[in-house]
Amino acid sequence: MKPNQAALATLCCVLLGVSAVHAEDANTPRLWTDVKGRQLEASFMMLTGEIITLQTKDGIPHNLPLASLSAADQALAKTLKPAEGMPSVSSAAAATPSGKIDLLVAQGIMRANAIQAKDNKPAIKQNPLASDEQFVRRIYLDVTGRIPNYEETTAFLNSRSQTKRAELIDKLLASDGYTSHMYNYFADMLRIKDQVDNRLLKGLPYIKWLKDSLAENKGWDKMTYELMTANGKLWNNGAAGYLLRDAGMPLDNLSNTLSVFIGTDVACSQCHDHPFADWTQVQFYEMASFFGATTTKLNGRDFKGKDPSKKLLAEIDHLMEEQGVDTKAIKQKNRTISDLLKANEVVVHDVGENRMKLPHDYKYKDHAPNDPIAPKFITWSKADEKVPAYKQDLSSPEALRVSFAKWMTDKSNPRFAMTIANRLWARAMGVGVVPTLTNLDDPAKSANPELIQHLANEMVRLNFNMKEFQRVIFNSQSYQREATTYEVAMGEPYYFQGPMLRRMSAEQAWDSYMTLVLGDQVDKVKNTQSDVYGRSIDMDLENSTVQTLASKLTAMQNLGNIAKKQLGKGGLAAAGKKMQDDDEEEMEGGTVLQYGNMKLMRASELEQPSPAGHFLRDFGQSDRLITDGSAKDGSVPQVLVMMNGQAQKMMTEKDSLMFRNMAKAKSPSDKIESIYLSIVNRRPTIREKSILTKEVSAHGENAYSNIIWALINTREFTFIQ
Amino acid sequence: MSNPFLKLDAASRRQFMLKTAKSALGVSVLSHFDALQAASEPAIKSGKAKAVIALYMGGGMTHIDTWDPKTGETKGFKDPLKTNADGIQLGGYMTKMAKQADKISIIRSMTSKNGAHGPGNYLMHTGYDERGTIIHPTLGSWAQHHLGRSHKTLPSSVTVGTGNTNAGFFPPSLAPIPISNPDGGLQNAKATVDDSTFRNRVTLMGELDGGFREKFNVAPVKAYSEFYDETMKLLTSADLEAFDLTKESADTQKLYGTGFGRSCMLARRLVQHGVRYVEVRMGGWDMHNDVDGSMAKNGGAMDAGFAALLEDLQKTGLLASTMVVMFSEFGRTPRINENKGRDHFPKVFSTVFAGGGVKGGYVYGSSDADGKEPTDKPVTPQDFIATVGAGLGLPIEKVVFSPSGRPFTVGDKGKAVSDIFA
Repeated sequence: MKPNQAALATLCCVLLGVSAVHAEDANTPRLWTDVKGRQLEASFMMLTGEIITLQTKDGIPHNLPLASLSAADQALAKTLKPAEGMPSVSSAAAATPSGKIDLLVAQGIMRANAIQAKDNKPAIKQNPLASDEQFVRRIYLDVTGRIPNYEETTAFLNSRSQTKRAELIDKLLASDGYTSHMYNYFADMLRIKDQVDNRLLKGLPYIKWLKDSLAENKGWDKMTYELMTANGKLWNNGAAGYLLRDAGMPLDNLSNTLSVFIGTDVACSQCHDHPFADWTQVQFYEMASFFGATTTKLNGRDFKGKDPSKKLLAEIDHLMEEQGVDTKAIKQKNRTISDLLKANEVVVHDVGENRMKLPHDYKYKDHAPNDPIAPKFITWSKADEKVPAYKQDLSSPEALRVSFAKWMTDKSNPRFAMTIANRLWARAMGVGVVPTLTNLDDPAKSANPELIQHLANEMVRLNFNMKEFQRVIFNSQSYQREATTYEVAMGEPYYFQGPMLRRMSAEQAWDSYMTLVLGDQVDKVKNTQSDVYGRSIDMDLENSTVQTLASKLTAMQNLGNIAKKQLGKGGLAAAGKKMQDDDEEEMEGGTVLQYGNMKLMRASELEQPSPAGHFLRDFGQSDRLITDGSAKDGSVPQVLVMMNGQAQKMMTEKDSLMFRNMAKAKSPSDKIESIYLSIVNRRPTIREKSILTKEVSAHGENAYSNIIWALINTREFTFIQ
Repeated sequence: MSNPFLKLDAASRRQFMLKTAKSALGVSVLSHFDALQAASEPAIKSGKAKAVIALYMGGGMTHIDTWDPKTGETKGFKDPLKTNADGIQLGGYMTKMAKQADKISIIRSMTSKNGAHGPGNYLMHTGYDERGTIIHPTLGSWAQHHLGRSHKTLPSSVTVGTGNTNAGFFPPSLAPIPISNPDGGLQNAKATVDDSTFRNRVTLMGELDGGFREKFNVAPVKAYSEFYDETMKLLTSADLEAFDLTKESADTQKLYGTGFGRSCMLARRLVQHGVRYVEVRMGGWDMHNDVDGSMAKNGGAMDAGFAALLEDLQKTGLLASTMVVMFSEFGRTPRINENKGRDHFPKVFSTVFAGGGVKGGYVYGSSDADGKEPTDKPVTPQDFIATVGAGLGLPIEKVVFSPSGRPFTVGDKGKAVSDIFA
């Protein structure tokens, strides 16, 4: 409460002239008196719980504890109606975490409007609440990464429950789709790929670690800590995939770490003092120094005796020569063998010596090139060093990484909670409170500084529980409003009058297609190869013989066969039905159906990333080379895919699930409604029905394929309102 | 932090400066100022190319067996060939190019620090080292950024064969359009239903989407609608034939032959129709084993395709406005290894230029007698990119800021080798 009292005190210093006190109307300014008898001229905006919001003449709203006002003014406040345009946040609602967010958003808009008025610009108004039809589509896309299917849509629309939105949010947050959609988001952010460095070193265990962590709703602090501190082989500890992603490029890895986890973009200072911010090249290297004792490969020093890989390779050469195998075959086999051995040498660990040095071309006078550089945490303000996060032991080189992780994920780290809070807010609302997600810069200068600070505090209060945090956002009125229909100019602040209109991500578009062909089977098909991969490749190098190596080679070759076995034989007609082929045992992870060369499963279960030319890539899936590399722009090849590609053909086939759903409807009108509820998750308007009834009478059964094609090609389908 | 100006991000700072300059000087004064600045700098001599066909030899093209032949112990398996250009010899496998040497400039003093395929490829395509924090654009996207679209319906840049299809930090509309198979044409250009059904569907789409587009009359939605319009225009325009190799005469088909040659033929056809930048990729250059056998096969196909392309460009009158460039991620070791192959060698290698204002029968720079070191006028990957950029008339010194506010130029401040331009 202290800052509020201070604010009132400051305001009272500006002694105001006597003005009319008679009109007890919300919008008219009057003199308010506090318990100490000090006075302030302001208009009443609203009362939420024990907090009163007053707006001074300069347009700035101030939140004060009601108790700080005189008894008479307290009584008066309780009788006043909220000012026009103020959200109807009841005291009870404002006391909830979601309501608190709505309050801060509303106050942000109020502040902005004071400036708008000064500039003679129209006031910003909050958007009306979204309809059930808009809501059901948006919440499925935002939480589970796909549109709802026909049954899910109608079940929600027909429900009479007063709390059906909150119930649906709870249901979806608990579903498998939540994990899949969150995985796609983090895979884009963390640049996750199937292929790690060495040909046989696969990202599978890292991917599995990420999905498992999200499924069990591990705290973001814990996840991050595990990524930073993971040791060992990738298949024994999937989190090791984070440092291995940039093996051999620790500086790039650090650049990404700082921007992704603590919203601090220092990429420039990797090579020189940052031109526009305060970061120096030395500061960058001081941070890099926390990883100066970390290595990702075993070498001679890590083995007791002779390098076991060399020993094994020599034995093999010897054996092959003895048996007179021709040289070419040896070479071929040798490559796979050496890749297998190399993959087993990839082990994240720390050594006893910090080897971080300034670069050979360091050009500033404060240090010499190649100077060793000691670890030191960056700060954003002078006060930072006093918070608990900064109390870390930096004495042992082997423990530096752990110290870094503790500092970064500490609740008192000035940027860690705020960065993920801003990201998850942006994910729901279409834009961050600070729009540059990897560079928070000065949050006090953002569109709504109180909001971003509050979101960061919420993240801490919720112990970095991302699911709970999102539950708070999704239940807010701010989120449940209609999407903004006008354009916010580039660089203009956005005040969250509702979510921004967003194009589906590539994964949302693909997974929505999958929903249309697979129905409720869409969440059941999984890629489960990680464990068998780990078992197949793992070797204890120092205790391996040529025989072990041979058995590993065979196991690795079998991996491909297992993946092939998961592919089902049925066509589209099999989609949405349980496989009942007695000859085939139910595969782990379900049976994968195919159409043309497309594997019909969620984007999160396909190749990471999908190969160039796949629907997902044409639609803007990241190639996973840079952080948040996905795109939401259109392109000619993308439109060609939508118009003429395999995916649209699959959707318009008469044995597809949509046609089977439609078969249950009797009249053309009901069929049209069924298509609408499946694809755009709403009932058609009268005008649309009349257009389409004509279409059906002109083209008969073929009309339905045309309607499906037309609808999946609309902007309404591709954008989330 | 005391200077508030420093608190602005790069984009706002530039905008601020521009605004200040505009209000203080007036726009006309400002443009006059620009002109003064341009005049004070020595003009970069540039080529006259309106289009570029870039032939990328993936895997690391052996320089000694192609463009920089040697006679000593690193010679390899064939003697150098005399050509139709005075004093220029080519590797023994370049029998057809030997008759086109009067059209080409060879840079024999290329030198790079990167001997790995991925990073070397990236460097030779962008002029920048590969980083984990940004993707740099390739030349087709740079050209579209600086010069705008090259044609009203056709794409401005195309990649034939597997290769880069992203626009770097530019928006995806500046990305090259991929053609995986020259005989397959533009992917998904053919509707899966008959023409009247297709048209009916498109009309239906417009009618059903009207309400949404009216409600959300915002840039991202409008941009989408424009892509649909653009695609429809392309699909219904005669320009689509640019992708159709069957439209070429029997003689031309014969001239180009099969494989790599067909990709070259498509490149010529695309350029003729108005595509500005076409990259053709040919693999198979990673000749660690049996360089002689691989050269006879792969080198022969390259020789035939390249020569056919130059001959055809001349015949069709396109050579004066089309610059052909051949490049690779690095060269190969002068020493022949125990598998009769050559290994990766970035220290010195060659690139080739022809057409679009490039001198014919000209050699720039040299390597030593064994092909081991550049001896004269070394040219870096940055210089190479700047040269191609200058050949197309791009403002290679102009600084462009990425969305993250970092400054970049075509070829990272490399110096264009203007000696090769006539």
